[in-house]
Parts: sequence; structure tokens; C-alpha cells
Amino acid sequence: MSTIERPPAGVNRSVPPGRALAITYRVVLRQLTSRGRIIALTLLALVATVAGFALGQGDAALDDAVQLIASLGFAVVVPVVALVFGGAAIGDLRDDKTLVYFWLRPMDRWPIVVGAALAAMTLAAPITLIPVVLAAILTGAGSGIVSGTLIAGVVAVIAYVSVFTLFGVWLKRFIVWGLAYILIWEGFIAQAGPGVARFALRKYTRSILVDQTGADLDLADFSLVVGIVVPIVVAALALVVGAWRLNKQEID
Amino acid sequence: MNDQPRPSGPPKMPSSSTPASSSTPANSAFAPPSGPPAGASTATTSTATNNAAAGVAVPLTGMIAVNGVSKFFGSVVAVSEVSFAINGGVTALLGPNGAGKSTLFRMMCGLTTPSRGTVELLGADPRHDRSVRGRVSLVPQQDALFDHVSALDFVTVAAQTQGVDSPVEVARWALEQVDLADVGEKPVGQFSKGMRQRVKVASALVNDPEVLILDEPLTGLDPVQRRRLTALFHRLGDDGRCVLVSSHVLDEVARLGSRVLVIAQGRLVASGDYRDLRELMDDRPHRIRLGASEPRRLATALVERGLVGGLTLDADSVTVDTNDADAIGRALAPIAVELGIRLTEINPLDDDLESVFRYLVERR
Repeated sequence: MSTIERPPAGVNRSVPPGRALAITYRVVLRQLTSRGRIIALTLLALVATVAGFALGQGDAALDDAVQLIASLGFAVVVPVVALVFGGAAIGDLRDDKTLVYFWLRPMDRWPIVVGAALAAMTLAAPITLIPVVLAAILTGAGSGIVSGTLIAGVVAVIAYVSVFTLFGVWLKRFIVWGLAYILIWEGFIAQAGPGVARFALRKYTRSILVDQTGADLDLADFSLVVGIVVPIVVAALALVVGAWRLNKQEID
Repeated sequence: MNDQPRPSGPPKMPSSSTPASSSTPANSAFAPPSGPPAGASTATTSTATNNAAAGVAVPLTGMIAVNGVSKFFGSVVAVSEVSFAINGGVTALLGPNGAGKSTLFRMMCGLTTPSRGTVELLGADPRHDRSVRGRVSLVPQQDALFDHVSALDFVTVAAQTQGVDSPVEVARWALEQVDLADVGEKPVGQFSKGMRQRVKVASALVNDPEVLILDEPLTGLDPVQRRRLTALFHRLGDDGRCVLVSSHVLDEVARLGSRVLVIAQGRLVASGDYRDLRELMDDRPHRIRLGASEPRRLATALVERGLVGGLTLDADSVTVDTNDADAIGRALAPIAVELGIRLTEINPLDDDLESVFRYLVERR
């Protein structure tokens, strides 16, 4: 064993936010990249593609195609994939007690949360967007549904991943709470009427789809701008709260 | 919440400069610590003493200063009214599993807030002062690593998150310090428990820490590595760093250094020189079971010679209480020969660390 006790390089004792974000992004991306998880979620997402293909084989109406994308793509595939990656981004670090390696460092908290969320988005986006946009193409319902699906998909991934990253920071059983949000809040309570629906991300993605296609969907009456801006603002707020919460968090 | 530190009392331990052969009586060194213990600088000790004498509550100061700290989890008291201050050198925190060592360490690093009292690291609040986090390293007890990455990558990430200039170079250096340079490219998920411990230690060295807190770092190591890591801790301590190492194994503490804090049931029950603790273990009342062919006659002989304070007789053994286990050890064989009694068992019933902790807690 060497007798040297000092590292052979300087120590700044502070990490700039950009660098902290990049380090967190890289580490979390690697931690989230599990073959089993990616295969399972890709198979789930491909269900939408298969359904779109099946619908496209008949003489599908535009409303049916949009309904398929909205109810399968944006009600199931995108939220569930976002939950798995977004929740795990910080939640897994907390569960396996490796969060201490980020927390006890001379870094701000927000780059940790943002870096983790970006890593989750990096994985969630291709796994969800490619199959769902492919589904929209395969329905054969025109170009509006494709552009609508793409815009809504990007917005949905950003918003859902950010919200579920917050869940992972704050809640121990983030998967359970996330599923409760998707299935009970968005899938059931938010269907009660437009007042409640505005507190569900699903309403905004549906609004984007309707704006781009002119299809007739319930609870989808926001403009394109509102449909994009509100979820992005929600995402930003979720990350801000996540950073605040991480700072207050008791770490194992 | 009461943030007021408790009054400081006179020092109970010799300072780091006190010779190892200090003649401090065991019982005075191993009293409930109310003043700055091991490593407390002379200046700190003096200030605390003078102010305590004047009846003024003055916080203890040091590289690590813990003042009247308690931690509650609901109705469970994990740490209760702990105060101590330590400076450069190696200090061992000794306590049984569940004594509150890890909770205390978590508070020291700012990972959790004290329910009462204050903790200062290098004069700063470790939970809220970002700058101090770069001057401190923690080796957590839990066996948590990024299993998919190599040891070199893991330590490199540690260096990057500490703002080190040449992270890879420093990571290689750190792995060399713990004898893992040769296997740096292997995933840590394939490492043994001892190797994983050493990876954690390596990652704690990268920022050249002024304070190094190690929670049971020797667990799972083979004797050779245990000795090497202990030597590393000593070199770091000799270099002026504050190295605080927890353990629940007395033999480990013996090698870690002479300065010991003893925690049991969440309370700091003693602080002092390790040799004093060892003496205390030997001098306290002992209970020994003696198996014999004629336990009643053996018991009578021991009582007649004044070697036991109390005893319990069984069919084939006698359990004795004594303050001088050595004297019994010396007398047993001659007595057995003299009386023609065959000895079948000599079994100390409380010669473990748990019983020492129990004794210290009950004695408070």
C-alpha cells in the first residue's frame, strides 16, 4: 500500500450546476438502463403499435384513430413508462441507499433532480414516442394525427416524467402512488367533468390531439398553446418542488 | 425544540498530545462524558472548563462538535443527549449494534436533522452549509454501490461529484490506497463484501477530506486488509485529519487507536483511552460458571478464601460473581487439586462487549 495520503490533483470543493447535472444524468441513465425493464416497457408500448396497425387495416374513422391514440398511447403507454423511469430516477437511488453519494456532495440539489429527470426522459421518449407515433401512422388517418401524436407525446413525456420524478423524491412507494394517479385520478375521477379534468395531464394531451386533427374527443377543449404550456409549467414546478424536497429529505 | 447545548464539564480524557501511558484512573476516564473528550484541543478544553466553572453553557468546539444531540423516531429515542468534540487524529466510536452509532453519524453528516441539539463539522452546519460537504467524507455502513459500474468508474464519479480536477487520476490513486488498483476495471457488483468496503473507503479519499467519518468500515475485511486499512486510518489521522471510525468489535477498536467514545442505548456512556476501557472490562464484576464434579465443595472453598461475592449452585456447576477474575483463575487449579475435584468447565458468562456496555449504562 502506498504511503501517499494526498490525492495527486486539486480539489475545488464545489461542483458547478452544469457539471453536477451532467454527472447525475450519466450515472442515473446508466442505473436506469436495465435490459429487462427496457424490453418489458417496449413490449407494452408495441401494443399501441399493433392496435394502430389493426385499426388501419379496416376503414377507420379519424375519431376512432384519435380515440385509440388518446386512450392507449396517452392514457396507458406514456404515463406507465414515464412512471417506471421517472419514479426510479431518484426513487431507486433512495431505495438502494446510493442517493447519499449525490446528496453529501458540494453540489446544488436542483441539478441532481433535473439530471435524473433528463436521464429518465432520454429512456422514456424513444420507448414511448416511436411505437405510439408509429401507431398513429399505421391507422392511416392522415398527417394531423401524426403531428398531434408527436407534439402531445413530447409534452406528455416531459410532464409525466417530471411529475413522477417528484414522486420518486418524495414518496417511498412511488410506483403505487403513480399508478393510483394514472388509474384512479386520471382514469376515473378526472373523467367526472371539465373542472376536475383540468388537473389531469391527460386532458392537455387530448387537447393537442384534437387541435391537430379536429377529431371529436371528450374533455379536450384547450387550445394548442394551453395544451403545451400548462404541462411544461407543471413539469418545471414538479422539478422545483423535487429539488426543494430533496434538500429537506432525510437520507439513509 | 431545544437547541441549547448542555453545559460543558471538565475534560475526562487526555488530549491527543497526552502520552499513551497516562496514569488517568480508569474510572475517571470512563465516566459519563460531559466535557470534550479525545482529541479535544487544549484551548477547547480550557475554554470549556473555565466556562463550565462559571456556570455558563458554552458549546464544545472542535473539528466535529456534537452538543446535546438527541434524535427521536416517534416514541423511539435513537440518540439521547450526546455531547462531545473531537479534533485531528483517529477516534473510535464503539457501541453494540443498534446503539445509535449510524444515526449519530448521519446527523454529523447532515443526512438527518437532530431532534435536539446541534452538530457542527469544521464550524459549519453540515446539513445546510454546502461548502463544508466538500471537506468531509462519509463511508456509510450500508453496502450500497452502483453495481453496474467498475470500481474505477465508481470512485471516478465520487471524484467528479467532489469537484476534483483530474477525477480518473485521483480515482486510480484512491484505489491504490486500498489495494484495489489491479481490479479497478471490474464491476463492483462482482466484488466481495470486503472489496466493496474498500471501494467505499477509496471513494471517501478522493476529496482529500479534513474530516473522515467511517461507519463500520472494517466489516467483512480479512485480517490483512483490516490491518492495512487501520494503518491507513492512522496515517490520515497523523496527517491532522479528524478520522472517526465506528465499530461494535472491541478488538477492532484496540487497533484503531487509544481514543474511544462508547455509545450504548443511544447515550454516550463513556469516553476515554482504550486502555482504560480494557482495564474497566477486567476490573468490573464478572460472572463465571465453573463446572465441577463436586460443585458444593468447590463453592465452599471459594467462599472461605473470599474469592467470590455471590454464587448460585447447580447439580454439576457453580456460577460465581467476582470482582477479581484473575484471582479465581489462579486459585482454581490448586483448590481442585487440594480437594480432589475434577473441573469440567470454566466459562465467563459476561466476557463480551455487550456486558461491558450494560455495565456502563447501569453504572451511569
